[in-house]
Amino acid sequence: MKKMFAVFKREYIQAVRKKMFIVMTFLMPALMIGLFMVPSLIMERGLGTKHVVVLDGTGHLKSAFTAPEKKEEAEIGFSKKGRDLPQQMQIDYVDAQGKDTDATAKSYTDRLGGKNGFDGVFVVPANALTAEDATLKYYSRSATDFMTQGRLSSRVNDAVQQYRLSKRGIDPSEVEKLMKDLKVDAVQLSKAGEQKKGGVANFFIGFILIALLFVPSFVYGLEIMRGIIQEKTDRVVEVLVSSMSAKQLLVGKILGVAAVGLTQVGVWLLMAGLAGAFGGAVLAVAGENFLQMLRVSTFVYFVIFFILGYLTYVCVYAIGGAVCNSEKEAQQLIMPITMTMMLPWFLMAPIMTNPDSNLAVGFSLAPVFGPLTMYARTLVAEPPMWHIALSILVSIATISVMFWVTAKIFRVGILSYGKRPTIPELWRWLKVA
Amino acid sequence: MDEILAVRDVVKVFGEVRAVDGVSFNVRRGTITGLLGRNGAGKTTTIRMITGIFMPDSGDIQWLGGKAEGGSFRDRIGYLPEERGLYKQMKLVELLLFLAEIKGCRAGVRAKVDYWLERFELTEKRNAKVEELSKGNQQKVQLIGTLLHDPDLIILDEPQSGLDPVNMVLVRNLLRDLRSEGKTILLSTHMMGEAEKMADEIILIHRGKVVLEGTLDEVRGGKNTLHIDFDGDGSFLRALPQVKSAEIVNNSAEIKLADGADPQQILEACMGPLRIRRFELATPSLEQIFIDKVGDATLSNEETR
Repeated sequence: MKKMFAVFKREYIQAVRKKMFIVMTFLMPALMIGLFMVPSLIMERGLGTKHVVVLDGTGHLKSAFTAPEKKEEAEIGFSKKGRDLPQQMQIDYVDAQGKDTDATAKSYTDRLGGKNGFDGVFVVPANALTAEDATLKYYSRSATDFMTQGRLSSRVNDAVQQYRLSKRGIDPSEVEKLMKDLKVDAVQLSKAGEQKKGGVANFFIGFILIALLFVPSFVYGLEIMRGIIQEKTDRVVEVLVSSMSAKQLLVGKILGVAAVGLTQVGVWLLMAGLAGAFGGAVLAVAGENFLQMLRVSTFVYFVIFFILGYLTYVCVYAIGGAVCNSEKEAQQLIMPITMTMMLPWFLMAPIMTNPDSNLAVGFSLAPVFGPLTMYARTLVAEPPMWHIALSILVSIATISVMFWVTAKIFRVGILSYGKRPTIPELWRWLKVA
Repeated sequence: MDEILAVRDVVKVFGEVRAVDGVSFNVRRGTITGLLGRNGAGKTTTIRMITGIFMPDSGDIQWLGGKAEGGSFRDRIGYLPEERGLYKQMKLVELLLFLAEIKGCRAGVRAKVDYWLERFELTEKRNAKVEELSKGNQQKVQLIGTLLHDPDLIILDEPQSGLDPVNMVLVRNLLRDLRSEGKTILLSTHMMGEAEKMADEIILIHRGKVVLEGTLDEVRGGKNTLHIDFDGDGSFLRALPQVKSAEIVNNSAEIKLADGADPQQILEACMGPLRIRRFELATPSLEQIFIDKVGDATLSNEETR
């Protein structure tokens, strides 16, 4: 026990003192914030103003382009989060009534691109108001400028609809009311009947929490793999295993690294808590109740599944470390291991949108993948208690088995400098050691 | 004298290779016991079984009569592995404290660290990282780590490999000091010359088996070797009844005496036909004994000199 603690202490102190730990602790939140802030900042400023020409063959749509954009239109093509402001658009309206629109368009499309040229030319044909099969045309240098295209077309369509309806004798001010889209409020209803606002924000917070759950597992999983290999290449291990059992060494190491991860996540949660308190206050002013998306259970489950997931991943990498003899060898192993471990992350979108599907349930009860998937499920839905209990049990069983396997491989593999063992050799180690 | 460790008929097989094949020996308290043999003879494997890194396939290792299963008696062993290894990123002092701690030793360790650092002239480097030290100094640090928890039995696997002559003398003197302090030392080496200078008892291992065991004097079997340098034809020496075997090269002969032979008679026989320049009665070198025993001259590689 004392020896295990000595190993634990050494692992912890050495790791926490490292530059990487300090950098990770402060860089990671900055990265996270960046990941969410930068795109909207770029949208706001970086992209600059789009300069488009609208060529109106009907001559009746001028008001649609001179009036300011309506809020709903502005949001087309963006996530529905209020802070994402649309890119600025400068529209030159050209009345082409009675002219050949295609020919007129030519003189503008010739000036597409370049520093002072247009970014796009939007052509409304003369028959747009009458023909049902009239086609709008958008010319631009990039075929993928869906956002501008979408915004322009929705403006034209709105105007065309209004025009058509008012031709049938409906008051234009009535038209707007009649055509208005209704808003959807997503509400997540728990079994206890408590309501909470669901929707997109929930989804994003879920993603952040899950990233927080699993990023440290990978980082420190790799760290323990490197640590074990380091001990082998530094040949320290012989002194260690002559002083204690392989199990004591392994448990001390893994718990030490686990404590490092917990410290880091603790710091992050503290930061998030402070930011959340601040941000929550801001959002509360804006009329959004941020805190209602977070329940106490969110944190309880986070701690439980973080520890389970962390230990699982760290064990998997520890096996990898015990088997390899050099960092180089490890590199080849890291890819397949990491890809497998990332599987639930790749499937996170379908899992979170369908938390009770067979896929989600299967993954959440499977060994190794369980903690991450189950936590995702508890975030977006209320899985049955026995699912959660079973998932936890499966994880504990998985960790115990892997601990046992790792300890055995560790014991034999740690001293077998030289070639990496083959699968049959590994099997023999398990049986013999 | 009482025994501190008994190795009983220990076997370890790796795949096809019987690395240790029924080795038995005792280590007596307060002695330096040399575990000799060529590279690959099974010395390190034997030591790893004593230190609990390997489990023997059969046979057992007894510590003062108790069975060697728990980890506890291993805390009484200080082990310097052949493959040296330290945490390179750690500070000297921290590393040494850690090494003592994993041997279950915490009280009063700091004072011992200071004592040993002083003794090995490393006090100024106490806060340096291990990787900043020279290779020789790293070896010293590892040796300190072996001694820090005040072990009863000190097992050293090739302690002098890679040391310069000055440090070699330092280690030699240290081992003698430790012996006079009542410590027991098991010294594994392939350097016969070094073993000869330090060991009280010799265990010779070859191909996983003990081929020779006893005190240094027993092993040498007394002064039974004659070195004669002469002028003239010395070939008649071989035929003398007192001579068991003789190796004559140019004007020099190394003669093994027959049991109970009196070297004085050989000297008398030489007086007529030869002009004697040197006549010396000596003990055979360990190296010579080893070669006689194993019948293999390939032992003599550079490092044995």
